This record gives sequence, structure tokens and C-alpha cells, in this order.
Amino acid sequence: MPKTVVFTDPSGDGPPIELEQFVVPKDLPDDAHRVGKIPEPDPHYVDLGMLYRFAAMEDVRNRFPEGYQPLHLAVRGHMGTGKDHDIEQFAAMLRLPYYRVPLTGEVRDVTLIGSTLLHGDGKGGTESRWEDGEITRALRGPALVNLSELNAAGAETLFALHGLLDRYAALDLPTGETVRLRDDVRLFGTMNPTDLRDYAGTQTLNKAFADRWVIWEKAFPVVDQIHAMIERRYPSMSQPFSEAISRLAAEVNASFTAPDVATRVESPMSLRTVLDRVPTGLRVYADSEDPLRRAWEEFVLPQIDAFDRDHYETVWSAVVRKGPKGPAFR
Amino acid sequence: MQEKQWRSFEIAGGANVDGDAVDGEIMLLHMAKLPRRRPRRSLQRCETINFVRAHSTLHEILSPEERAIEYVVARYQRVAPAVTRVARSLAGDDELQVRLGSTASARTREIVLDPGIFQAAYARRAPVTPSEVALASALHEVVHLVSTHLEEARPLPPSWFPKRETPLPEEPVDLLTALTEAGGDAAVSMFFALEDGRQELTGMAAYPGARSVLTDMYQSSIRSAMEAAKPLGQLAISGFALVGEHVERDVLEKAAKPKVAVALADATPFFEAVKEAENAWEVGTLALQVLEIAKLHGLASESPANESAAQKKLREELDGQAIEEGVDRVRLISPIVQNLDGYERTRQLEQRAGADGEQGPSDVADDAATDQLLRVSQAPTVFLPTGQGGRLMVSGFPQRFRQFGPAGRETLLEAASAWGVAQRHVSGELFPLFAANQRRGLRSGYDAGDISPHAPLFLGAGLYQRMYERRALRTRRSYAVSLLIDGSASMLQPRPLTSTGGRTAPWGLAAATLGAWTLARLCDELQIDFEVALFNRSFSARSDDSEWSFSRRKSGATGGLRRSQGQAADRLTNTINHYLVKPFNARWRTSEDLLAGLFYAASHPTRAAAEARKAPHDSPPVGMFEKAANVDEFNLSYAAQRLSRLGATVRVLVVLADGMTRGSLNSLARSVEAVEHTGTTVLGIGIGDDTVQVAYGRHQIVERPDTLATAMVDGVRTALRRSLALSGLDEWWTRAGTREQMSAWKEKPGA
Repeated sequence: MPKTVVFTDPSGDGPPIELEQFVVPKDLPDDAHRVGKIPEPDPHYVDLGMLYRFAAMEDVRNRFPEGYQPLHLAVRGHMGTGKDHDIEQFAAMLRLPYYRVPLTGEVRDVTLIGSTLLHGDGKGGTESRWEDGEITRALRGPALVNLSELNAAGAETLFALHGLLDRYAALDLPTGETVRLRDDVRLFGTMNPTDLRDYAGTQTLNKAFADRWVIWEKAFPVVDQIHAMIERRYPSMSQPFSEAISRLAAEVNASFTAPDVATRVESPMSLRTVLDRVPTGLRVYADSEDPLRRAWEEFVLPQIDAFDRDHYETVWSAVVRKGPKGPAFR
Repeated sequence: MQEKQWRSFEIAGGANVDGDAVDGEIMLLHMAKLPRRRPRRSLQRCETINFVRAHSTLHEILSPEERAIEYVVARYQRVAPAVTRVARSLAGDDELQVRLGSTASARTREIVLDPGIFQAAYARRAPVTPSEVALASALHEVVHLVSTHLEEARPLPPSWFPKRETPLPEEPVDLLTALTEAGGDAAVSMFFALEDGRQELTGMAAYPGARSVLTDMYQSSIRSAMEAAKPLGQLAISGFALVGEHVERDVLEKAAKPKVAVALADATPFFEAVKEAENAWEVGTLALQVLEIAKLHGLASESPANESAAQKKLREELDGQAIEEGVDRVRLISPIVQNLDGYERTRQLEQRAGADGEQGPSDVADDAATDQLLRVSQAPTVFLPTGQGGRLMVSGFPQRFRQFGPAGRETLLEAASAWGVAQRHVSGELFPLFAANQRRGLRSGYDAGDISPHAPLFLGAGLYQRMYERRALRTRRSYAVSLLIDGSASMLQPRPLTSTGGRTAPWGLAAATLGAWTLARLCDELQIDFEVALFNRSFSARSDDSEWSFSRRKSGATGGLRRSQGQAADRLTNTINHYLVKPFNARWRTSEDLLAGLFYAASHPTRAAAEARKAPHDSPPVGMFEKAANVDEFNLSYAAQRLSRLGATVRVLVVLADGMTRGSLNSLARSVEAVEHTGTTVLGIGIGDDTVQVAYGRHQIVERPDTLATAMVDGVRTALRRSLALSGLDEWWTRAGTREQMSAWKEKPGA
């Protein structure tokens, strides 16, 4: 009897979704490697609804197979919104080996699919051997493949994946082999929005390629969500500090997402800043008169562009001005 | 007084918080039942309020100049994007525009802030920084403009008129009319005091940092305000401060007169109720109740028997005045919640502002005064070696002067011929030498730009992104010349055409422009970077100004600023201006007409003025040349900075003026010296004025138009030749030329 995992809707609207976890077959030649690729659930992870949406999609696939074609999910959002973390945690919950394939402008189809390489035969000569690329290797067993930064790769590179992503659901290798999309493989992707923001190397997604994905937007978390994340991760952080950090992040990110270029900042306050950098700063400057201010000065402001500094400082003055009295951690 | 000790308070004909009549019965406010929605953190913070603060204050930190309105506006400009974004959040409107204007107002999708309010905030002796004040005062204004909606009409609440025997009219009226009817000016003033505090508490709840700035400013004023206020004013101050959660009650009680302290204890539950009020009508009810308490404690005047209507009005006015004066000493004044007049004036302005979306062309609320204020605040500040600093209005020269271009070219040729200034190719001998000295200074590795000569190699190596190159140096030229011309009206005055007197003509600016023209051609042929700038002191013209728009802006700004800024208006309108006629980065070909047009206006000022009168909408702003003393040193320092930033090795700055600087000769001399120290050669030419002898190391005084143009051209040519000699190109003609040309130029020892 396979084990199951239950996904609950954080908004409380939808019913819980129970899904069976995957099992890596023992007869696979790389089963040990794959088992090692199954991520551990992050005890500090807070689902803001994305995991539940993934689960709902998976549930449809399981419960209504009639006429169903595998759909592939891409999450689009600004830096530091936790897109890859969501996908990794979904793999952890489903016990699927997780393969994160970063796509860049330099990635070529041979990197993803594979190529024939020359090897020494030990007798002074060489022989050619096929070597799987990153995606092909992942497709040979149960896997959740996360093609991160989908819109950074060149269109000509992504054309090689069209067959895998559409109804054909397979990769034809130059060796003549056809690698089919297994039932226990899930394809995900992430990307930053393509606008005037400084996401160097990104480009508008080729329409034909985009049509092969279900694209969901991931927004920045709001104050309460950030607060919940901080509390989960740092239960000992005193409330005035967690509240102030949450408000700062929400306000800065509201400025980042402002549609008017005259009133927005070009650098958001990412979850990495909120959950990693600032709390570390609070500990580093625990003995200072205003630990939050010092953490802000040393762990936040250096991250941003010089022309955003006034805006960041204005948000600081409006939301905090003087940090809470320490200690930051109980 | 503790809540549990709260005694019943008997009011003949009182009303509860809902405005329902509780005629003749004991009115109790059950404090325990009142919901508490907000933590009272600010109260905890100011538990130990200390009236005598050891902190620095803005008055001590900032010099009087830095507290001037243009500096205040400049500081606001730094926080303006964030203020607009936050204002949009507060108003729930993503398209809300926050502008500056001479009078605060709010209408659909637009809030106008009066920068005078920011300036007033600087007068507080509070432990706050200038940027905090800019932020808090702007947000404070936004909150009030967004939150104040008193138009809702209701029938007069019967509970507000307990003694009235005749039936109340059923016709709905707005809140302020109802309050005036029920309690006169005193009721309206008390309402505004409490409503002001309530709006700040609720509107700025999401921005506790900004609210804490207000708290610091208010706390710094409360002691003196309580000392100066009348008893009723003290109660109103206490209400405002308690509703806004700026000060603890015991602090207020200590500062208040004994009978006010007793009344304060009784009024506190009402103040607490104001915090929870859902709308302004509820606040109105509570304001009337607080006034009743004031009367019972003898703080407000009671209505005597047989009081006439006029007496009643006067009495209520005095009470209202006491309240308003008291609270105004503490709060940041926002006209819309200051008093009835302020509210009505603000609303009238909104209606007068016209239809939605009808906005001015600038970032300000379409008024010339604020537009000018904003321009001054955004102007760069130039610092002199003496430590003095001042703002310089830098802009492009009005483009409409191009209209005079064709006529100007003809006049130029005539003048060149008459004054013997050669307009031929002057650079034949020098051209190869200068061309050889140009620097390439290209660097590869850009997304776009010139194709690198090494592109095939880069492509072969797969380095696609390096096939382009871009100039890494700011200029690829080794030489740069900047020409700075005095553009005051005195340069347009007729002066003798010969050194012995006789016939006069307005040749000052004309000869200078001819010299600039000749010099520009020389530099263009030699591929030397050059610029021509004009400086004067008057109302600053815009590059798109016509005579009509210039004069209209000038009169509008002068009148508006006189009204709002008083004596400072002269400083704000009579500015030091620096016009770029031909900037370094512009092609000479595109600037020729502009310079020719300027020449025409300079050589025929009367004709140009007549043409401007005929078609003021189309003609250039010939009225921009005013007779006012220049401040040469600021212009010189600024031009030198710009020249220096260009990165050329040999830099020549020619300054041409016809009179004494309005600054000091010492400042000018030290500025020239400082510029010379940076390696820039400064040449000063005085038209009939010997000031240059004192201020400039290298100078020449000219008395005739022909000598002026020649002096400019030869001075620069000599400086360039000398630079060639210094760089090792010591040819016979260079030495000969230097000896010959420098004979007219005087140099101080060591220059």
C-alpha cells in the first residue's frame, strides 16, 4: 500500500487533497542515486497556496485520466518569491527525485539532451559513446524536473524540448532511441517576469514553447504571510522584530511592483533577505543599540542599487524609523 | 483617574456616542465595552516624556539657508517617489498623483501638497531629521486630504439640541453646518481638533515610523503650547494628543491648570471613544459632549440668560479661537482639518481645479509659483573655494531664438566684415597636429556600439558579446574649450564703437557672440570639444519658452511666491542662470542657428523686441535679458566642473563679462585660482571694465567690438598652441605665434 500525503488549502477554502507518494523502483540502474535526489521536507517551509495548487493539478491527473494529457507547470514570479522552493517541497512531499536544471543563455540542446563523446579505448585509440544530457538522464526514472529560468535559454535550445512537452511526450535521441515521458515524471519550470526589470539574460518566451506550459504567477507574500514564515523559521524572534521586518518587506515589495516607474524601486526585498540575511544580521548586531537598523544597514542596503537607496530609507522611516528594543531573540 | 473609579457624569441634555439623546439621565460610558483595536505602543514609548530634550534639533543642525523653502522642497523631492507610492496605498488608488502646489487640495486622482507646510515643520525643536520631517509632514498631509470627507448630509440629530423646544428642520445638512448650528465655532473647532487626531491615528497606523516623527514633533511643542493656551485650549490640546496617542494623560495633567486637569479626567473616556469612532458624525457628537464637560468645569463660557444672537456668536467665536490657537501650537497644520475656513477653502480649490484628469504640464499643480519653486529646488548647488554655496539654474538656451537664425547669419557676415574678424578656415596649419592628438579610448564588451576591429577574432572564439565596443573615455579628444558669456541686459546697452568715444551701438553681446561663432568654427574644424554658455541673473527662461510663456510664467511665479514666501520671493525668482547655448555633446551644425539667432537679438535688440511684441506666442523670450548684476564665480565654477568632467587633457575656459560680479572679487579671484589649479586655463575678458585685472590671472580689457572678437579667438588659439609646445611640439610657428598673440594678453606673475 503506497504511502499518502495530505495537502491542505492554507486559505481554508478548498478540501484537503490526499495524494499517493511515488516509489523509486529498485530495478533501476541508478535507483540509489535517485533515492538520494529526493529532497527532505523543509520544516520551516510555509505553503502560501502554491503547493496546494500543484496538488490539485496532480489530483486531477490521478482521478480523471480519461482524455487527460500531461500538463506541465511553470511558475513565474520576481526574484526571491520562493518559486523553486515551492517546487522542491512538492517533490519532497511526493517523494520524487528532484532534478533542478538551470537554463542559461549558454545552455545548448546537447547539454540538455546529450551528445556523443570520444573516449579513450585504453589501447591508444578512441571510441565514441553516447552520453545522456541532464534532462535525458532525469527522464529515465521517476523524477520531478525543474527547468529553472525557463526564459533565459535561447529559443533554438528549447525547440529540442517541444516534442517532450506536447502530445508526443518523448525525446528522440540522435542514437535512434526514444525516451518517453514516464508516468512518474513531472516537469516544472520557473521564470522571472520579462519586463524592464534587471533580470539580465531573460527574454520573452517563444509563443510555441509557452503554449506547452501552464503558467502560474507567484506574487510577493503579504505582511501576514511573511510574518508566518518568520515565526515558523525563528520561533524565538520577538514579535516587534518579526512584525517590523514583515512590514518593511511588504512595503518595499509594494514599491517594487508599483506599475509607475516614477514611484517604484528596482530591487525587491526577497525572501532570502527577509528569512536569511536580516535574522542573521539581528544576531550579529544583537548587542548594538538598534539591532534592526544595523541589520538593515549591513544586510539589506548593500544589496540594492544606489538610486533605490532613498526609497528604501524612506520606507524604513515610514514603517520603523527606530527599531524595536532588543533582544531580538528570546 | 482609573477606569473603575470613573464616576457618573451628569449632563442635562447629553447624548451618547451614537448621538442618541439621553436627556436628563446619567450618561455613562462603559469603557470596558469599547473595543481596543490598536496596541498603545506609542503611549508606552512616551511614558517618560522629558520636555527638556538633550537631542539635536533641526534648528541646531541646519543653517538658515538650509531651512529655506527651496532646500526643504529639494529634501521632499528625495522622498517624493515613496510618498506617492504610500499615498496610493492609503487612498487605494494606483493612479493617484501627489503634486506640489501653492495651496493644499485633494480631488479625484490628485493630491496637492503645499511645501510651506513642510517648512513650518522645520521650526519644531524636535529630535527628528530633515528627511523624516519631509516624509512625515507629506504623509500627514496626504492622510488628511484623503480622509477628510465631511459632505455626508444628515438631518440635525435631536440629541445635539437638548434645550430646543421648536422642532428641528428635517432637511439633511452637512456635518459642519450641523455642528455650527448646535455649538457654533467652538463645536466646529473642537470637532476638528479631535478629528485631526483620529485621522492621524487611523490613517497612519500602517506607518508607525512616520507617526512617531509626528509624536516627537508634538511632544516637543506640548509644554510651551499648554503654558500659552487658555483653559479650553488646554483641554483641546489634551484631546488632540490623547486621541492621536502622542502623549500620556498624566503628562498633560501635570502641564494643565488644575481645573483643566479635573476636566481632562472626565473627558478622557470621550477621547477614547473618538479613537473608535466609525465616522466624522460620531466625532461631532463626541466633540459636543467634550464641550459640555468643558462648560461644566468652567473652561468654556456658559450661555448667560437673555443672551443676544450677536453675543452668543461672539462668545462661541472666542471659545473656538481658544481651541484652535491651542491646538495649532502643537499640531502640524493641515488646512483641511484646521478650521471651517481652511476646510472650505481646500474644497473650493478642488472644485476650481476643473474636471478630472485636467492637469498641468509639469510635476506641479499647474501653478507657476510652485513650478518655479520646484525648479529652484532641483537646481544644482555650486560650492566655491571660499565655502560659499548657491544654486545655479542650468537649462538649455530657449530654442525659439533659432527663428532669428537666417537674419542672424546675414548680420554675422556683415559684422565680421565690419569688425575685421576672419570667417575663413582658420585651422589649416593646425589640423593635422590636432587630429593626431585625438584619443581612441575604446573598450570592448558591450551589447551594442561600434563593431570592434577585432570582431572576427572574438566571433571565432565564441565571444559574441565582445564584438562590440564602446567609448570608455568620456571624450576621445584631448582638447576642450568652454566659452562663458555674460548675458545680462547691460551687454545689450549701446556703448562707443571706438575707444575715443563717438558713435554708439549695442555691441557687447553681439561682439561676444561673433567671437563665440568664430571660435566655434575653429574648434569644430580642429575637432576640439567646445561649448558656449550664457549666464545672467533674472527670471530663468525654459528652453521651450516663447516671449508670451516667459512673461506669463514670470508674472505668475513672482506674484504667487510673493504671496506664499514673502521676501524670499525675490531670491526665488531672480535666480543665477546658466544657459547652455551649445553644449559639449551637441553637434555644432545643430547649434549654428541658435547662436546666429542670439547674435541677431544681441546686435538688434530693439528690432528683436518689436518682433516679439508682434507675435509673442511664437517669438523667443527676448525679455530674458535683465539688467541685474551677475554672480560670475558660480557660473565659472560650474562651467569648470563640467569641463573637467569631460576628461580632456587641455582645457580652456574663456569668461567674458562687462561688469563687477555681484558676489565678491575675492571669491571670484579664488574661484579662478582654484580652477587654474586643476589645470584648466582661464581667460578673462572685460568689456570696458577692469575687474578682470584683479580676478583673472590671464586677462584682457577690450574697448572695441573688433578687439573683443579677436581677443577671444586669439586667446584660445594661443592657449592651444602653448599646450602643444608644452607637450613637446615646439615648432618655430608655435613660438612665433605665442609671442605675437600674447602681446595683447596680460598675465599675472605665476599665471
